[in-house]
Amino acid sequence: MSKLDNIPVRHQPTEAAGRKRTNPLAHVFDELVKFCQSRSMFMLHYCTGCGAIELPPAMTSRFDMERLGIQPMVTPRQADILLITGYVSIKTLKRIILTYEQMQSPKYVIGICSCTVNGGMYWQSYATAKVLKDYLPVDVYIAGCMPRPEAVISGMRELMSDIKSGRAQNWKRYYENYDHYLGNQQKLFGEDWQTPTDIIAEARHYGLMTDRTLGEHTALLEKHQRPLEALEMRLSAREKQKT
Amino acid sequence: MNLSELLIELLLMPLVAFVIGLGMVLMMRKIAARLGRRIGPPLLQPIYDIIKLYGKRTQISHGLIHEIGIIMAVGGYVAAETLLPVPGMNGLADKGGVITLAYVMMIPSLGMALGVGQCANPNGSIGISRALTAMLAYDIPFILVIFGAAYVYGTTNLADIIAIQQQQGVSGWGLMQMPLLALAGMLALPAVMGKQPFEIYIAPAEIATGPMVEMSGKFMGGLFVMQCFQLYTAGVLYTTLFLGGGAYWITFLPKIYAVVAIPMAAAMLFPRYRTEDVIRLMWKWPVLVGLMGLAVAMK
Ligand code: SF4
Repeated sequence: MSKLDNIPVRHQPTEAAGRKRTNPLAHVFDELVKFCQSRSMFMLHYCTGCGAIELPPAMTSRFDMERLGIQPMVTPRQADILLITGYVSIKTLKRIILTYEQMQSPKYVIGICSCTVNGGMYWQSYATAKVLKDYLPVDVYIAGCMPRPEAVISGMRELMSDIKSGRAQNWKRYYENYDHYLGNQQKLFGEDWQTPTDIIAEARHYGLMTDRTLGEHTALLEKHQRPLEALEMRLSAREKQKT
Repeated sequence: MNLSELLIELLLMPLVAFVIGLGMVLMMRKIAARLGRRIGPPLLQPIYDIIKLYGKRTQISHGLIHEIGIIMAVGGYVAAETLLPVPGMNGLADKGGVITLAYVMMIPSLGMALGVGQCANPNGSIGISRALTAMLAYDIPFILVIFGAAYVYGTTNLADIIAIQQQQGVSGWGLMQMPLLALAGMLALPAVMGKQPFEIYIAPAEIATGPMVEMSGKFMGGLFVMQCFQLYTAGVLYTTLFLGGGAYWITFLPKIYAVVAIPMAAAMLFPRYRTEDVIRLMWKWPVLVGLMGLAVAMK
């Protein structure tokens, strides 16, 4: 499952590849934005496993994450970091992927707990997804069963310094290697798995298409893809039965 | 005053308001943190947040009305700032008056309602219906207080109101002349600012921040900017009506910060009220106190 080239290595930023930057101050702005991104991180509270219990102390008076500009946000639209706090059951993983795809780039994933690294003590379970980075690009892992708030905060600081120096570019890997991630997702959820977000179109939009974006798995997706339909508007459940 | 001077003031007033508002947002978060025995965010946190939001790569727009809604939300307050006299700058205060201001202050909520409507997210619609209901709740005491103050001073011109108060020193302040109306205003202030305990329309854990649910990137940034203006407007309006405005920034700034800090410090201690409770509370106590104040003023 984990070939060497699947491991999320830090790769060089490809920022300026597609667009031509003519503004002489562009780099100053980039640095400013990067700095602000590292100092203001909204994290989605979506808590999956038992590791979530270490987050309240990390946020409240004892360790106070707001000092670092980290604060909870409740919708994926506004969040910058997705925390996966513990074992991920297969059902949960579907929701995690849906949530991740709805987040706005640049976005970062932090895997807290050993269970997200290699399955942890649920390694033999039939119902959990073992290695999180097979399904999503993970920026930082914080190992431990469960990691203490100090460890969580030091992991956050790691991510902050990565963002500041421009190394945290893993969200691009999801677009660049979409076929690989989709393949792993299909292995778990069946081949008719699909999400409402059109990743391929987004990859095109950001200029992140590579030869690994499309492949046999995306071909399979295209075969099964149903177009998104607007939800029907009705006032009560009973109305439908009448018609 | 010639035209170029006026133009400079119109440009400067919203800018000053924004900077002061950033300080107020920081102060609010610091108060919340200190009450929870935390340290709270660093000094420049509100700016980091806004720059970060504008710097996001993905900016999802749900259509033209969504964008116009945010422009209305920010623009309404920008217009309001030019109607609020501050030390050294009167802007349009001479021509506008407090009634125009009350109208302009409603534009942001309506803009938000428009923008959120196009997002077509049910959580957003619930949130905005709650926000408009809350507006209905606090507008009654708000208008009462404004009407009472205008009646006592005999003018709706904010610049004149400040001049009248400053002629008589501290004893001429609205707070001394009509303490009941000032109290009613103070009671309604947290609701006008839309902060705890009257933020059921945001309700993060229940309807996922309500109106803001689909707002992301620069749209959220716009709302963060709007929040700065919102706190500033509430603080300056109250100071102008009841605390004698300010002849100098050095006396003016502590007043407006105190006006925002006092209800905030008390309000952070309460759990939030449900929408119908907000209405009941707002239509009962501030309205009652305000009506009594009005009766005393008109005797
Ligand atoms: S690593 Fe331990 S604490 Fe974390 S989710 Fe797994 S079993 Fe729970």
